[in-house]
Amino acid sequence: MKLPRGRLDKSRVVTDPRDTLADVLDRELTGYAVFESQETLLLDGEGRGVITFTDGVPVLVYHTGTDRGGPPALADLAVPGPYHVSLYALDNADLESAHEAADLRVPPGMPAERLGGDPALADSTRRAAPDERLSAMGDGDAAAAEDGPAEQSAVEAFLDDAEKIEAIKDQARSEARERAQQWEF
Amino acid sequence: MVEVFAVASGKGGTGKTTSTVALGMALADRYDVTVVDADTGMANLLFHAGLSDAETTLHDVLADDAPVEAAAYDRFGLTVVPCGTSLDGFRDADPDRLRDVVATLAEDTDVILLDSPPALDSRTAVLPIVLADRIVVVLQPTIPAISDGLKVQEYATTYDTDVAGLLFNKVRESESIEQVSEKTERYFDGPTLAAVPESERAREARRAGRPLLAHAPECEAATAYRAAAESLTVRDGAAADAADRFQSAVIPESL
Repeated sequence: MKLPRGRLDKSRVVTDPRDTLADVLDRELTGYAVFESQETLLLDGEGRGVITFTDGVPVLVYHTGTDRGGPPALADLAVPGPYHVSLYALDNADLESAHEAADLRVPPGMPAERLGGDPALADSTRRAAPDERLSAMGDGDAAAAEDGPAEQSAVEAFLDDAEKIEAIKDQARSEARERAQQWEF
Repeated sequence: MVEVFAVASGKGGTGKTTSTVALGMALADRYDVTVVDADTGMANLLFHAGLSDAETTLHDVLADDAPVEAAAYDRFGLTVVPCGTSLDGFRDADPDRLRDVVATLAEDTDVILLDSPPALDSRTAVLPIVLADRIVVVLQPTIPAISDGLKVQEYATTYDTDVAGLLFNKVRESESIEQVSEKTERYFDGPTLAAVPESERAREARRAGRPLLAHAPECEAATAYRAAAESLTVRDGAAADAADRFQSAVIPESL
């Protein structure tokens, strides 16, 4: 995925990617966010996740470490935080050609649901999404129809990555051991 | 007999309190059950159990201003120990007294459910998991909920607390929960107890300040909670040393 660099809007460390998604939606940002987990052990080399937005609504997701796009890239991104997040603002026109990559697309509510774990934020995001984004994935009860099978593939892709899950567990165990001493249980 | 379960999730919003009360009510068919709001910083069990006016709460007990009996209320066939919501109450509470609270309650009940904080970032948040014999992990079928649930499990097992099982909550029809739960089970030390569907009845119950199993006992979600309770076998703890066990609950020396 090729994107113009854009204007740096914010650069900070967040513990929960939900906060970034909520902030972008609030401010109706057009541009992209680069997520870099501080837990580099869990990522393959240069792994960074990129999410593009139009008016605050997510459009594409891509992961540089795994070279995957769309829902599987969200699974690649879902590692324990904190994350370093940089937000870049772009004009709509700058994103047009990138946004033609249909294989990198995600349903509008999926990042909030799967990365942020916040169904309410996902609902707000869907409400903010233009009709054609919702109808492109099916009509009717947008939430269920839109997010169903595609989102599930993100969870299942995550669960199929035994190595990453073992890494999450290992990290939690060593954290628990360290903190036991710190907390004087 | 007594067994203490921490009902836990790494993240908020999974419906942990609804699940704690529902499991408690379903288990109360077979056992004497006590439910404790151990989320002392963000208490909400009182709103689920119609106890928002309770005068004495766990905050008072943890501040050493009241005995635990004064904060224990009989509601819906359970003994409910709610926690207050004021900042002052939180500030004055000594979380370490939770050990004594659990030890005292353990003398006179079969099952204790601790509604635990949805976090692992402080001593207070983790203490219920340390005190419990086993945890019930409440999950939604999402990546963040499952990865946070995994962390909860690893903390628990590191501190010698076992996993009783997983409870998938707020499951939507479109989600292929069978595949997800089967794959999730590979990484957890306990089975899936039930998959509880997302439920308008649960939202109504919360607004009405009543437990789901009292508000809509026949709904699909309530049925799933009863199935979860059914598949939980409560282990016989030694009643005699219960008090001692919880007062001295520590993490294993081997660390």
